[in-house]
Order: sequence, then structure tokens, then C-alpha cells
Amino acid sequence: MRTVGIVGAAMTKFGRSESSLIDLAVEASLGALHDAQLGEIPIDGVVVANMGAARLNRQTAVASALVDRLCLYPAAAETVENGPASGASAVKVAFQAIASGMADVVLVTGAERMRAVSNLEATDFVASLSHPEAEYIYGVTLPALAGLFARLYMDRYGVERKHLAMIAIKNHENAMKNPCAHIHQPITIEGILTAPEAVVNNPPIAAPLHLFDCCPVSDGAASLVIAAGEVADRLERPFVRIAGIGQATDTHAVHERLDPTDLAAVRRASERAFEAAGIAPSDVDVLELHDAFTILELAESEAAGFFPRGEAATAIERGETALTGRLPVNPSGGLKAKGHPVGATGVAQMVELSWQLRGEASERQVRDAEIGFACNFGGFGNNVVATVLRREDR
Amino acid sequence: MTAQVWGAKCTTCGATSYPRHGVCPQCRGERFEPAPIAGDGRVLSYTDVYALAIDYETRYLRLAIVELDDGTRAIGHLIDPAPSLGKRVSATIGVVREPGEERIYGLRFVPV
Repeated sequence: MRTVGIVGAAMTKFGRSESSLIDLAVEASLGALHDAQLGEIPIDGVVVANMGAARLNRQTAVASALVDRLCLYPAAAETVENGPASGASAVKVAFQAIASGMADVVLVTGAERMRAVSNLEATDFVASLSHPEAEYIYGVTLPALAGLFARLYMDRYGVERKHLAMIAIKNHENAMKNPCAHIHQPITIEGILTAPEAVVNNPPIAAPLHLFDCCPVSDGAASLVIAAGEVADRLERPFVRIAGIGQATDTHAVHERLDPTDLAAVRRASERAFEAAGIAPSDVDVLELHDAFTILELAESEAAGFFPRGEAATAIERGETALTGRLPVNPSGGLKAKGHPVGATGVAQMVELSWQLRGEASERQVRDAEIGFACNFGGFGNNVVATVLRREDR
Repeated sequence: MTAQVWGAKCTTCGATSYPRHGVCPQCRGERFEPAPIAGDGRVLSYTDVYALAIDYETRYLRLAIVELDDGTRAIGHLIDPAPSLGKRVSATIGVVREPGEERIYGLRFVPV
């Protein structure tokens, strides 16, 4: 396999946008292309990650539309729809094309415009990834699955609401330092948990999870220019190698898992990514985890092998996952505060890691970050893509 | 026929799976006979979800994962004013979603 890595990275601001889906995708794509400074080197392919344009924006074949808007013909183009893991899946498609020699340079753009519809419609749209016969018909939504998961997890491992609140507070704090984040709102343990008004500020969404345990509904796009190592050698740009990708699936219906608190697909995908990269979890300097719900940051950090099961809550209490801690998690603000335009998320995680590994993350820079890890969590853990990125001086 | 929720019983190994798959998760058998999801069991987890999907006009829905005594598990509505983990419940069938004029029947768990 050829060496493959990231030579350009950019994203739009996440949040509520007036721009169309394609305009968001164009903005992020041009940002990444400018960052890569490819000069005369052609783009061989464009991969778009998107989950909902057909339903949310009444548009299909988004990759063909993006190639046209960027006048990149005759570049190959395809759209990858893999639920909330679409972003990392699209990166994987580009990686495979380049590693195999089919392409030298591929633009990967994740984009989603969810605020085009009401919150109710957006929630129902995401819920359509649940099992149609055994989950969806009951009114199951993603928050519902997260609530069921959280109740079991908290009961079994002694995790308390204060631990989840600490994750939310940390991610909001990190997002304050990220101009692209959807939410710029500092929060406190009093405001969301202990003060009398917390009951009003932080109402239940899917008990035991409350409003500040859940990511917002966001618009946004993120882009990466991915190239073969030998192409990168011709560019005077930093190179972030895609050192390992792992992917694993699990049962569609959450109740069918032997142990519903075991995120087996996260565990397996992570093991494969570490094996491909030839590293151990202890080698990683910075993580971007898929905290669509606070409980998932905690559970993924354990399932991926960064903490023994049941011990992430203690690590959070000790500040180990803070920006200045031993193992910073979600310096971008995570899905919780950076936002979660579903198709864009997996790409945006790797945009943040690229900036971190290149030392370009300004106020939220993790010191001496050389190896990064991303977990893009599709479905409710039934399709997970884990990626290891590594700064390489070429 | 009364409304019923069906699992799939593998005619090769006898294991019941719910929801149904194209092959048996235990033995990869491909022939099944319908097996009703019914009887008593215990609450494995539950939640009150306020972030509702379309088709609901209530303020929240109480949902549960229940493990039935025969070992099969299912999600359904939990009709219980005082839910707790491990509580004994019975599977009943009722309307669980009403998109437009349609009525969808499914599992509604009630205390034993």
C-alpha cells in the first residue's frame, strides 16, 4: 500500500446557516484546496459525505453537483452515505483509492444542512437510521437510545450526572476557543446541575440525559485534501499521515447486543486502526470522539482502550481529558459544542486533528501533539470508523 | 387475527431472534417459523424521551428494553407510573404509533 495523508484541511463555521448545502460544501472545499496549494497537480476524485440531502434538502447526487460547482471535471465523484459515520467512511474511500494507486489526490468534503427543516423533522430524520420494525415504530430516536444506554451504563459503573456535566463543561470550554464551533456558551456545574434554576436551564431530553448532554442540530461542512506520499513530497506543506483506519459493525437493534453497554464496534474498529498504525492507545496524544451525547465520550474512551472499563469517570474528575490534561479529548469542543452536521462530522474530526498535529490550533493547541485518534460513531454504534493520524516530517 | 409482534424461530437450531434476520444469528440457518414475542420479563433499561419523533403529540414517551423470560429482548412502550430497573413486566399489544390515518401496533409493557 502507498503512504496516504492529509495535505489540506478546512471547515465552515458550524451552526445555523443561511447558505445552501452546496454553498457550504464549496466554502469548505475551497478552504482545503487553498490550504493544500496543489498548483498544477490535478484532483483525481471527489468524495462527498452526506446523510440527508435527499430528505432534508431535496437534492441527490451531491458529489456530482460539487464537482460542477468547483469545475473539477473530469474528476471521479461519489457520495458516501453511511449514517453519522459518513465522514470517516468517505475518508476511507479516498484512502483506498490512493493507497491502491487508482488516484493520487482526492478531495473529501462532508456536508449537511439540517436546519433546513424543523427540529422535530431533523430528529425524525436521524431516527430513521434505527431498526424500522423493532425500534423506529415505537418512536425511538437517537436521544432515546442514548438514554436507554446511559441508564444501564451509569447503573453498572457508578457514573453520575455530575460526570456527564463535567464532559459538557469541558467541551463547551474548548469550543469557546474554536471560532468554527456552533455553540459559544460557557456553562457551569451550578447552572446545569446544582442550582435551583438548573431544572429549568437543563430539562430532561431522554432521562437520565438532559439538554446539556446532547449535541445541537447543526449546518456545516468540512473538507480534506488527501494525497499520496509522493505527491506530498512535491508540496511544501505539512503532511498528516493516515496511519491506520479500522471499521466494524454490530447489531442494528441495540437490544439484541449480548451486553448493550458494550460498544463492541468501537472496540473492534479501534483495535484494527491501532494495529494498522502499529501503535498502542498509550501512544496517542489527542482524541476527537463522537460525543453526540456526553455518555458516548465516556463510553467510547473506554471501548477504544484509552481507559479501563468503568474508569473514564474518574479520569474526567481528575481533569485528565481537559485541554491541559494527560490525554485531551475533543479540543474542538466535540459534537457537543462544535456541533454535529451529521455527514460533516467525521471529516471535521480529522480537520481538527490535522490542525492539532500541525500545531495550528491556536488557543486550543494540545502541546506536542504528534498522534491523533478519531472515532466516528454511526447508527447507535452499529457502524464505527476509527482513524489514527500521525504528523510526519517528509 | 389479533395483532401480534413476531420473532423468528430458527427451524434448524430452535433459537428465536428478534428482530428477524435473513439468517439465524446462532447457526446461520435460513428457515424460520414465526414465534410470538410475548409473556413476562424484566426491565433491562428505560427512559423518558422528550426529543420525540414525528407522529406523537404527547410530551414524552416512556420506552423500555425488556428481557423476556425466554431470553428474547425487545424495545417497547412502558406503561408504568413507577418504573425501575429489573421490575417484572408483561408484554401486551397496542397502538404504538399513528402516522396520519394509520395505526401501528406493537409492544406495550405493563407491570405484572
